Amino acid sequence: MTVPSGPAPAAVPAVRCRSLGVSFGAVRALHDVSLDLAPGRIHALVGQNGAGKTTLVKVLGGLQAPDSGEVHIAGRKLPSGDARAARAAGLAMVHQHFSLPPSFTVAEALELTAFRPGGRSVYRRAELRRRWRTAAAEIGGEAVLSTRIRDLPVETRQSLEIVRALATDARVVILDEPTALLTPTAIDTLFERLRRLRDDGVTVLVVLHKLREVAAAADTVSVLRDGELVLGPSEMSELSQGQLSDAIVGPASGADRAVGVEAAANGERQTLLELVRVSSRESAFEPGLRRIDLSVDTSEIVGIAGVEGNGQRSLVSVIAGLDAVVEGSMVLGGTEMTSAPSARRRLRGLRLVPFDRNSEGISRRAPVWLNQSALRLIGRHPRRFPLISLRQYKRQAAEAMDHWQVRYDSVTQPAESLSGGNVQRLILSREMAPGLEVLVAAQPTRGLDFAATNFVRRSLRGLRDAGAGVLLVSSDLDELFELSDRLLVMYGGSIVARFEAPYDRRAVGDAMTGALR
Amino acid sequence: MEQILATTFRSAAPLVLVATAGVFAFRAGIFHLGLEGLMITGAFTTVAVAETTGSVTLGILAAIGVCMALSALYWWVIGPLGANVIIAGLGLTSIGLGGTAFALGAIYDRRGSLFTDVVLPRPLSGITSGPGVIVSEHSILVWLTPLIVLAAWIVLRRSRFGLRLAAVGEYPFAARTAGVSPSIMRLQALLIAGALCALGGAELSVGALHNFTENMTNGRGFIAFVAVIFGAWHPIGAALAGLFFGLADAIGIQSQINITERVPREFVLMIPFVLTVVAVWLGGLWRRRSLEAEAGYAELKEPDF
Repeated sequence: MTVPSGPAPAAVPAVRCRSLGVSFGAVRALHDVSLDLAPGRIHALVGQNGAGKTTLVKVLGGLQAPDSGEVHIAGRKLPSGDARAARAAGLAMVHQHFSLPPSFTVAEALELTAFRPGGRSVYRRAELRRRWRTAAAEIGGEAVLSTRIRDLPVETRQSLEIVRALATDARVVILDEPTALLTPTAIDTLFERLRRLRDDGVTVLVVLHKLREVAAAADTVSVLRDGELVLGPSEMSELSQGQLSDAIVGPASGADRAVGVEAAANGERQTLLELVRVSSRESAFEPGLRRIDLSVDTSEIVGIAGVEGNGQRSLVSVIAGLDAVVEGSMVLGGTEMTSAPSARRRLRGLRLVPFDRNSEGISRRAPVWLNQSALRLIGRHPRRFPLISLRQYKRQAAEAMDHWQVRYDSVTQPAESLSGGNVQRLILSREMAPGLEVLVAAQPTRGLDFAATNFVRRSLRGLRDAGAGVLLVSSDLDELFELSDRLLVMYGGSIVARFEAPYDRRAVGDAMTGALR
Repeated sequence: MEQILATTFRSAAPLVLVATAGVFAFRAGIFHLGLEGLMITGAFTTVAVAETTGSVTLGILAAIGVCMALSALYWWVIGPLGANVIIAGLGLTSIGLGGTAFALGAIYDRRGSLFTDVVLPRPLSGITSGPGVIVSEHSILVWLTPLIVLAAWIVLRRSRFGLRLAAVGEYPFAARTAGVSPSIMRLQALLIAGALCALGGAELSVGALHNFTENMTNGRGFIAFVAVIFGAWHPIGAALAGLFFGLADAIGIQSQINITERVPREFVLMIPFVLTVVAVWLGGLWRRRSLEAEAGYAELKEPDF
């Protein structure tokens, strides 16, 4: 292979791909993507949801065979779609979804994934722990080796993924949206680690969503849009924030309208949702609630901050009526609803954007129109005829989705075929419909690209301005600071601190880590 | 008492062997409902080949070969052809039950059963009195069963192969990330399961008895599958569950002999099945604590990401 002469960098690119193309059915995930990544640098890859970032990353890692084009690592061509060859060539992946089996112990997971040829094929537990002792030093020492993956905190899991990737002596590390699940502190630690890797000569390619993170971490940035590379690897120092966002969003296509709903705004301030000394049972993943006092009034956004796993899920489940209240009481819209079924709460104006949109927010196999109409199908409407008109429901669903700019091909396609951002828009289009009084929004922007994030945030503000109450649960402090009128911090199932704007990042951070206890 | 223990081990051995087969499949993420069919195929092939050649070893080897071939077919149908695992498994069971009955008629021109004098050796058959009668009637396969379970434990819980297999069953994406082909791992697990089913069938026909009878497995393959679930798909757990069902069976048989005067026969015959239902219920209660991971096991389909 000849490297074209000219002003190109002298060194052989650590990663080079040529004319990559991938299609899934009629959808073109990647089109003619050619990219050279210089060795020993941190390269960011950005783009909107569905722009093809994850597909590109999977092609590079050999987990997806491209329809056309080829990948070279350090000048050598990789056989297409061969994960093992990619690893042997020194390429390690840290996936967006955790890639370790939850029931494995840390030592077992390392043995499974950290590919070291040789060694006996039968082992004893003690031997396994000895072998991975050094690797475990970075994630909390030897004790962690016997812990099951599912019992690890999110940050430790992420660190483990990176340790796993590096245990293979990787020369190229690819991370797909590693920051989506991390707290701000953990993100800083991650970026610090990436810099150390770069200084050791490792080439890093990291998929990021937030421009602030790109600016903080990356040396160069590449932008994908609709499956095409629209901005080659460009030096961050030579790029303005504006240029970058233009590249990501593309030519203006009818700017996102903020969508508001006419909630019951009768001017008078009243309490819409109130929890009084509510406790609930702990789950396998989280502490239960411990005597929570909380209220959400008309026209306000109440933020819930906290490191994940401190009872936020329990809180949302209790309000939604999915987890039982053990003691205390809950009032919704002036009516006692402590043990009311979910459907009654819904009819009383409670709306919910759940934590995990794919498993809790939609029925994956059901068509999009049915997902969109779900709320219209619950509850009894005494005067309404019990049979429904599919055509009418489909039309209404299509109208609502167009209003919310959900990108879909047909109202009958299964909801799982939508991209992440569009699934979220679908959920919002369903939940933020007339009748809404209180919205509980759990991580509403997690994993969304920045256009969609802005859209969701504008919509939440629009709701507040229209008189609704919003309970916003998020692990993104910037988001909470930007939107919340009041901020509560959860730790170990209790509310340990309450803040009013303007917020002190340091004080909130201390409360999140339990330093106030 | 001695009689109950003796019957327990004899009833349990085929269940434990087939349950171990089920554990291998389960670890690879396959709800193997073809165990019954493989087991009866193993029983028939052993008797037929042993009777023809006069060698029980050849009979067992032939049974292992046939069951592995059927397992490969099963793999091809649920893997490359993408058929539903449960339906295809039930199909495999039907093929086994119907096929052996048909072969019995077609080859030997008879219905019901096929007798043979070529059976597995019984190492301690000389003992006729004292506590030794507990073990005197046991074939060599009953003696080997604990070793097979131990070997299964080492392979599944203490080897890289076992780790890869568990990863395939629990989270195929993790396996693919580790450079493992889930499809090939499933084939290997099914082949091992096939061989173990053949042994279970052989013990039933030429270990405990001297014949092959139509439908002689009588649901044992399904009970073995229950033992897999009850034993939390751990090789030792499944073996203990198999032993428990063997005990239930033995109690049923013994009480049938001893107390028929007072208790209706049908009630006694029901005991093992009632115990099975109770066991499954208890297993469910116990498992609820560990939540999560199980959900992934049933999925033969790759998760999309």
